[in-house]
Formats: sequence, structure tokens, C-alpha cells
Amino acid sequence: MSKTMIEVSDVSMQFQMNSDRIMSLKEFVTTALRGKLNYERFTALDHVSFTVKKGETLGLIGRNGAGKSTMLKVISGILKPTQGSVICRGNVVPMLELGSGFDMDLTGRENIFLNGAILGYSEEFLDTKYDEIVEFSELGAFIETPIRNYSSGMLARLAFSIATVVKPEILIVDEILSVGDAQFQEKSKKRMLELMGGGTTVLFVSHSIKQVQEMCSHVIWLENGGVKMQGNACEVCAAYDGTG
Amino acid sequence: MGKKIHTDDATPTHLLLQHLAAALILTYIIAVLAFYFLAGEELHLRRSRGELGLPGADSGTVELTAGSVVEQHFSMEIQRLEGVTIQWGTYYRPNSGTVLIELLDLRSGEVVLSQGFDAAGIQEGGLTTMTAEAPIEGLYQAPLLLRVTADSQPGSGVSPLMNTQGQEKGWVLTVNGAAVPGVLCFALSGTDYIWTGLHYWEFAGAGLLLLLLFLAGVWYRCRSGKRSYLVNAVAAVQKYRFLIRQLVARDFKTKYKRSILGMFWSFLNPLLTMCVQYFVFSTIFKSDIPNYAVYLLIGIVSFNFFNEACGMALTSIIGNAGLITKVYMPKYIYPLTRVMSSVVNLGISLLPLVIVTLATGVALRKSVLLMFYFLLCLIVFSLGVGLLLSASMVFFRDTQFLWGVLSMIWMYATPVFYPESILPDWFRQTILTCNPLYHFLKNTRLCILDGISPEPAVYVQCMLMALAALLLGALVFRKTQDRFVLYL
Repeated sequence: MSKTMIEVSDVSMQFQMNSDRIMSLKEFVTTALRGKLNYERFTALDHVSFTVKKGETLGLIGRNGAGKSTMLKVISGILKPTQGSVICRGNVVPMLELGSGFDMDLTGRENIFLNGAILGYSEEFLDTKYDEIVEFSELGAFIETPIRNYSSGMLARLAFSIATVVKPEILIVDEILSVGDAQFQEKSKKRMLELMGGGTTVLFVSHSIKQVQEMCSHVIWLENGGVKMQGNACEVCAAYDGTG
Repeated sequence: MGKKIHTDDATPTHLLLQHLAAALILTYIIAVLAFYFLAGEELHLRRSRGELGLPGADSGTVELTAGSVVEQHFSMEIQRLEGVTIQWGTYYRPNSGTVLIELLDLRSGEVVLSQGFDAAGIQEGGLTTMTAEAPIEGLYQAPLLLRVTADSQPGSGVSPLMNTQGQEKGWVLTVNGAAVPGVLCFALSGTDYIWTGLHYWEFAGAGLLLLLLFLAGVWYRCRSGKRSYLVNAVAAVQKYRFLIRQLVARDFKTKYKRSILGMFWSFLNPLLTMCVQYFVFSTIFKSDIPNYAVYLLIGIVSFNFFNEACGMALTSIIGNAGLITKVYMPKYIYPLTRVMSSVVNLGISLLPLVIVTLATGVALRKSVLLMFYFLLCLIVFSLGVGLLLSASMVFFRDTQFLWGVLSMIWMYATPVFYPESILPDWFRQTILTCNPLYHFLKNTRLCILDGISPEPAVYVQCMLMALAALLLGALVFRKTQDRFVLYL
């Protein structure tokens, strides 16, 4: 009965990698003239298909370079897959890595609006939710100072608060719950669970198997760009742990 | 090929389209009316392409005394003749008497224009111009005769100058009835009717009809469920309006952050540049250009905008690499917002232009408002170049250094601080005519300094150049944007 939110069908992603990336016209011309413009094809995703239902929390696990982040980028629309298609029904909010949408010279307040706009929130929405964001981030009076003076923990708190203030239909979380002090981690985990309870579909990437097991209902194990195993969180995690 | 589909919540397309159509039609009608009012006489008339300049004088004809006569048979391609000028020699002595210049229409033998001048007032190499009270029409390609006579005593007569090398088909110069080779040193000025200007309302009506047809087409497509470019573009603007505003505000806030004068610099910068360049170049060019300060400032403000917008757009994609690799949004937003923040800057730097214009006593006419048309062309053009540069920069980092050199060349190839008259003819005919910035600049100056509107064809020409640049930039950008993320 629950609606399919994300439909990934037969997605392949290939990168053309020339041995050293050519960054200048001169290099390009000279190497092309010498006939050394050979590209190596690197397959980051290999015929991956899965679906995510509304309200599900999908964990993506796998070793470094298994294609987890590439998968998230394809889903959020940043990368166009070489083959296959992705259908997302709803707005995708990526939880940004530390400060990537921030401008260091602006104050916390200005950054809330800037970052909110980048995440696709409307102005009226931010106006009404502004106090809530500030409160959740625990920044208090610091909100009016330029964020270059913030500590990394403060930045992460602000980023998390902005990303989760909306009830996004699809939330993408890439290794972010390990920020802030223990207390804030606890608080953010609670917020995540709250969002999931409210029907948000979450895509979750982490190297911490414990966290994945705790948060996710469904897990996909990627290896070398292909799906090695998918299914119930406990089973997949156990199998993954088993391989070491 | 791979596909990526984001199903967005459907906007009330019909309502949007209705508003858009109403806005477009209204804008069109206002623009047409405003243009008719602002362009004034220049809409119907232009300086005639058949105007004649003075040939270089290399000889005198004859001392004009009572009874002697110099006659020039000629024809011209001017629809409305306004003035006839003759150049004189005086034998470097004071002269006396009256010279009489007459213009005859040989078809009827009537004198159409005549005027007498006091020979004592004529200088060596000086000019006398007889001006028609109302432009004379109907002389186009007609056989004409210019007759010069005088009542001076021998020894005190002046002499109309001639060019012994010059010859034109069907023209004859006679001195006291005897034909001599060469032409009289005379010039003709006048205006021609502009066909498009005379039919302005027909054109405006046709434009309106096209617009209505286009909107009907869009409406029909929309009804049958297809999305058109127009609707998509407007929906995108609506959707990303807040984001664009935030990004422009960010650019603007961070630009002068931590400087004491802040945004006052946007105002001060062009003014100071103008002062420096005025100081440096005024001794060289001042005499050639009336209102040199304003001339210079228009150049500086326009070119600075172009340079800044392109320079900022250039780094817009690689500078936002952190965002592009993490959040999905249409990538054209980055160069677009950079160009828009430059537009804000341009708006501020127009203030010193207004101040200097008023302070130097340039008489402002209604045509000043037409300047905004050319600024719009400049903005569209800059956006096109900016899109091209930003896409190119992703693949070839050399672009920024190349652009540094190129923009410098471009500046010197555009009459920003020098008069175009110092350029050699071949340069003016080749490079200058191909340089869109030159056209935008020239016409902006025409609107402000001369207080007249350029002829109608110029408007179309300028907009076409700007749109061509935008089209090229947008196409390249669209074609390459999916691969940006792989090269960041």
C-alpha cells in the first residue's frame, strides 16, 4: 500500500578516466596530437536496481569506493547516469557536508536563508521556521556573528538544523551523524527517528555498522559498483560483518 | 542514454500562463508606445547615406568677379536636402563684395535654393553653408546645377576651391562656360526617410499579431499536456526566484564585506577610474570629443560591467564546485546570479554617471531613456559570454588566463577612452563593426550625449548581436553541463 518513493532501475555509471586529467588546452592539444588521448573506463555503478518505499530508511553500506556516494549523487540528480533511470517522487534534501553550502563571510542568520534557499525551501517557510532552527542548533547569540568564527561542531549543528527543519520527502544523509558532542548526536538521532516516523524516506550512508543497524529498516550492500546483497538490515549487516 | 526524472509538484500552469500572457502583451504595447515617443524624429528620418563630404581641395577655380561664373552639374541621392556647403580660397587677402550661390533644378530650370554671402567674411579654406528653411524634397537623382557668382571687383574676389582629380559620372564643372576636369569642393547634407519607420505601426501590429499567435501556440500545447520552453523557463524562474535572490545578495554582501566604505565603492570606483583616465587622456583627446568626461564615464561604466560580469561568471561553476557536487539545482543559476549581481553594481555605478552628466551641463533629452535598451543588450550579451566562459573554464582551466588577455585586447579594441576617429579606416571597417561592445557603447553615447535616437535598424542589429551571444553561450552550456561534475 505504501507508495514507492525512489525507483532506481538498471542504473550504470561510467566515468572516463584518462590517466592524468587534462586541465589545459595546451595539454589537450599536445596529448591529442601524440595520440595519447586514451580513456580508461571506470565503472562506478553496474546495473543497480532497487526501490525505496515511503517512510523507509535505506542504508547503503560497502567499502570505500564501492559506489555509495555515487549512488546518492545519481539519486539526488547531481550525476546523470550513463544508463538506466532514476525516478524520485518528492523533493530531495541532501544533508550537506560541513559547510559546503555556507558562505564563511556571512552571519549564521544570513546563512540559514542562503542554505535554506539552496535546499529549495521557500522564503515564507524559512521566516516561520527561523526561530526553530536557531533553537535546535543551540547557537544562541552566535547566530549574528560571521560563521568563519564558528567551531566545526557549531557549523555541523547549524547545517543539521537547517536540513531537518523541513519534513523532506526524501532526505539524504551521508556520514553526518558523527558530528557535534555526544549530547547533540543524541539529539540529532532523535530528530532523525522523528522524521522517519513522520513519513520521510531516508537514504543513509555510514561506515558504522552499528548505526546502520540501529537506524535502518532495509540495507543494500554495494561492492565494486554492484549490489552484493540487499534485504533486512540485520541479515545484511551480519553478512557484511562476517566478511570483516 | 541515461535519464533522470524528477517529478515536481505541478504548478498551476494555466494560471501562470494567463498572467504571463497578460504581462507580455502589456509590456509589448508599452514598449511600442514608449519607443515611438522616445525615438521621435529619428524613427522616420536618418542622415542620408547619399550625403557628400568635401573633397580635398587642391586648386582654386577662378577669381569670382562680376560676370564670372562657376557651375557644377551634378546629381545626388538625398531625399531631403538640408544644406549645401562650399569651400573657399581668398588668395590670402581681404576681399569684398557678395557671392551668390544658387541651386537649380535642371528639369524645370527653377532655383530651388539660393543665398548670398559677404566675401569679406570668408576665410582662407573657410566654408559657407546655405541651409534650406525646410528640407527640399523631390531632388533625388535629379539633374542639378550649383551656380556660384559674385559682384566683386577684380583683385578683391574670392575663389571657390576645387579638386582637380575628382570625377563622377555625369558631373561637369564649368568655369565661365568652359568645362574643366575635376569637381567643385562642395558638400551636401540631408536626410532620408526610413521605410520601416514610416510603417512603424504596421510593424508594431504585425509584432503584436506574432506575439498573440505564439502565445496561442503555447496555450494550445499547454492544453494538450505538453510543456513548452516558455512555460518551463517561467516556472523555473518562479521556483528558483528566492534562491537567485539569496545568491545575488550573497555576492553583493561578501564583495565589500570588511571594507569600511562598503557598497559605496560601487559608486566610487567608476568615478575614480574616470578621474584618473580623464587626467591622463584629456590632453590627448579632449579637443576631439565634446563632453569628454561623460564620454569617458559611459565607456568605463559599460566596459567595467562587461568585464566584471564575465570575470565573475567565469569562475562561477568551479567556484561553487562544493555545492554543485552535493546539491542538485539547475547549473545555469550560478553564472546567471553572478551576472545579476554585476547588474546591481551597474545600477549603482549609473549614479555617478547621472551626477557627472548633470554637472557637466549635458542637455538631457527624452532619448536618454533609450540608453536602457542598449544596456539591456549589453547585459544579455554579457550573460551569453559569461555562460560560454563558465562552461569552458570547467574543461580548460587556461580559460581564465586566456580571458585576461582577451578582455584586455577587447578593451583596447573598443573606443572606451579614445575617439573612434583616431582609428585607421581598415580597422573601423573590419574589427570595429564586428565588435558588439562598440555598437552598444556608440549608441548609448548617442542617446545621452547627442540626445538623438539611432535609426531603427540599429536596435534590431544590437538585439540580434546580444541574442546571438546568448544563444551560443546557452547552447554550449546546455550541451556540456552534465559533464561538469566529472571535471570539478
